[in-house]
Amino acid sequence: MKLLPQSFGAKLLALFMSAVGLTQFATWAFIREFNDTQARELINDELDRTTRNFARVTADRNSLLAAAAATAARDYAVKSLFAGEDDATLATALKSIRISSTAGLVTALSLEGKVRASTLAAAMSDAAYADLVRRAQASPEASARGYGLFGGELYSLVLAPVHAPDIIAWIAVGFRIDDAFARRLKEQTGIDLTFFDPAGRPVATTLAPAVVRDLAAMLPALHEEASSEEAGLAGTTALVRIRRLAAGGDRGGTLALQYSLEEKLAPAAIAQSRQLLVAVGGMIAAILLSLAFARGVTQPIVELVGHTRRITRGDYSIRNRSYRTDELGRLSEAFDQMSLGLSERDRVRDLLDKNVSPEVAAQLLRDGATLGGEEREVTILFADLRGFTTLSEHLPPRELLTLLNRYLDRMSAEIEHHGGVIDKFIGDAIMALFGAPVPQGDAARRAVSAALAMERALVGLNAELAAEGRPPLAIGVGVNTARVVAGNIGSQRRLNYSVIGDGVNVASRLQSLTRTPEYRTNVIVSAATLRAAQTPFPARPLGTVAVKGRAEPVEIFAIGS
Amino acid sequence: MNSKPFPAGLRRSFPSLLVLCLLGFVGGAPRLAGAILVEIKDGKGQPVADAVASLTPLDRTPVIKVPDEPAVIVQDNEEFSPVVTVVVVGGKVLIPNRDKVQHHVYSLSPAKRFDIPLYKGEMKEPVVFDRPGVVALGCNIHDWMAAYVVVLATPHFAKSAAAGNAQIGDLPPGRYRLEVWHQRITAPVVREVTVNSDPSTQVISVTLRELRQIRRAPETGGGAYR
Ligand SMILES: [Cu+2]
Repeated sequence: MKLLPQSFGAKLLALFMSAVGLTQFATWAFIREFNDTQARELINDELDRTTRNFARVTADRNSLLAAAAATAARDYAVKSLFAGEDDATLATALKSIRISSTAGLVTALSLEGKVRASTLAAAMSDAAYADLVRRAQASPEASARGYGLFGGELYSLVLAPVHAPDIIAWIAVGFRIDDAFARRLKEQTGIDLTFFDPAGRPVATTLAPAVVRDLAAMLPALHEEASSEEAGLAGTTALVRIRRLAAGGDRGGTLALQYSLEEKLAPAAIAQSRQLLVAVGGMIAAILLSLAFARGVTQPIVELVGHTRRITRGDYSIRNRSYRTDELGRLSEAFDQMSLGLSERDRVRDLLDKNVSPEVAAQLLRDGATLGGEEREVTILFADLRGFTTLSEHLPPRELLTLLNRYLDRMSAEIEHHGGVIDKFIGDAIMALFGAPVPQGDAARRAVSAALAMERALVGLNAELAAEGRPPLAIGVGVNTARVVAGNIGSQRRLNYSVIGDGVNVASRLQSLTRTPEYRTNVIVSAATLRAAQTPFPARPLGTVAVKGRAEPVEIFAIGS
Repeated sequence: MNSKPFPAGLRRSFPSLLVLCLLGFVGGAPRLAGAILVEIKDGKGQPVADAVASLTPLDRTPVIKVPDEPAVIVQDNEEFSPVVTVVVVGGKVLIPNRDKVQHHVYSLSPAKRFDIPLYKGEMKEPVVFDRPGVVALGCNIHDWMAAYVVVLATPHFAKSAAAGNAQIGDLPPGRYRLEVWHQRITAPVVREVTVNSDPSTQVISVTLRELRQIRRAPETGGGAYR
């Protein structure tokens, strides 16, 4: 029972928690998902921008170099060297061009694509330019862009024609794609980038060596067509985009752009952690609120339970005194009314007990008060205080009543002790029933025993009275057993359980016969009672007596002294 | 299309070739002269102007007579005119300057290397082209200026007109190597043809590339950003 209010609180708590928790978690998850998607989109946008920027920067730089180279090559002396066969002098002219154009590399090629001279020894390879020459030959501008890998260094190249005024030769100029170039690109876009040669070796990067190592190891698994792929690099998650440096066939190598997802999500992560904090705060508030509410509900219930127990024990004094106006307040009110009703009923029951015998009261409460009755064998006992009229003349009424009650109380106690039921007090007389309303197999024996006990009890009472200086009392008892009608007798408004019939008159007559001096006895019973008692009481036959309204005489016996 | 008349002509040429040889041997120039009309078209069938068609005799050493008068390529309005000039080996060309500005004409072509430093007006001496080949002329000041002198070791040649036709006449019958050149040709067309007294027509289709010379910029202010 004690678990109930606790479990109500727990239920309420669970309800609040799950409502608040679910809402918060759903919001959190939604925002997280949104942030993640947003971050990826933003990163992809930035990667797009960087890819375009790289192409733009490379193209611009190549154009400038090509223009510078073309300017240098339009010098008549240089043109003559391109037209002639003096490769050694041509090589020195290329050096001048490289310096004036700020190129990283200048190479002179014949119209057929044979390398004649270069500022870089490693760049003296016809094959390295074959694709560029072929594309330049085919293009209207007679130029082409591409990449070259020379001695482990990656160069962005542009092949330009040497006019005299027809194209008589080619000049290739390029700049090295190194860490410095990578850093320049990063300054413009803020995105880390790494260039790999066709063999997958990093040649230029803005990244720390450990990250580059991871990226290089991952490179073969990455897809060029993907807008970006997630990759774990040196303990952080990054989105990586791979682009083949296309112009240059398989010589171009690879450009890898990466953007740290954590970095992009960092502001979102702060917002998320704050939201989590708010969520936790909300949960705590929800807990406190639900606890307070549960307490508000369970406290009166606990009180009511306590009150119920006290009412069970018969204590109706408690009032809930609730000032609530809600359902609980109404419950308290109803409870108080019930408590009041119960106490009222109990008082009625108490009064009933005092007015009727407990057995009758019990039967009344059980079966209800109904008119009607039944015929059954009942033993009726009549007891009368002898000489009461004389006594009433000598005593003041108050003392008289006290004495009478004292006497009746002793006698009643003996009757009840022997299972008899006080039917009624008639002045100083007592009428008691044995075997009604509850049937008793040994009702007659009990009645006789009760009569003897009453006689003895009076001796005790007389001793007390003597000590008080009062005169002794005397009684006469008559007992008869007969079939009578038992039931509630009276009007609709007022009922008494009692018995009626000839047998009742006989018992009353036997009681009055005890006044007959010749009989010398206080207790007279009928033969019917003695028969029904089945117990050999010391009985002295007194003969037969006629009873008024009865044809047959009654055989009577004196019992006791 | 090109090859169809060729084997027929070849087959037909054997007896006449014999006659020609005999005639030649007997002494005396061939009285009958042939002519070839070369029609030059590009890949789309459009006529190609300023192409040079030449016929080099295969059976004899051509007799080359250098004209006394030099050819003239003028420089006018910062352009060469005409763009294509054909001369025989040993031919002379004058390149006068009709502009108010100076020009610096040069050639870095293997057939004839020369340069005439900045000058104005007439040239004192013509340039003599003594080796066969195509000589590209440029100006060191004006990059867009370009002209070609086609130096041939044969007197039989013609430059195609706007309609793409190049008429080569006064041809002694015999076998010839027909060559067609154009400044934008991807590869020179070479074909063997036989000439007899009947005029014949050769249709030549050439593949031209885009003009890859430096263009003359329009006369505006600064160059737009590219
Ligand atoms: Cu000029």
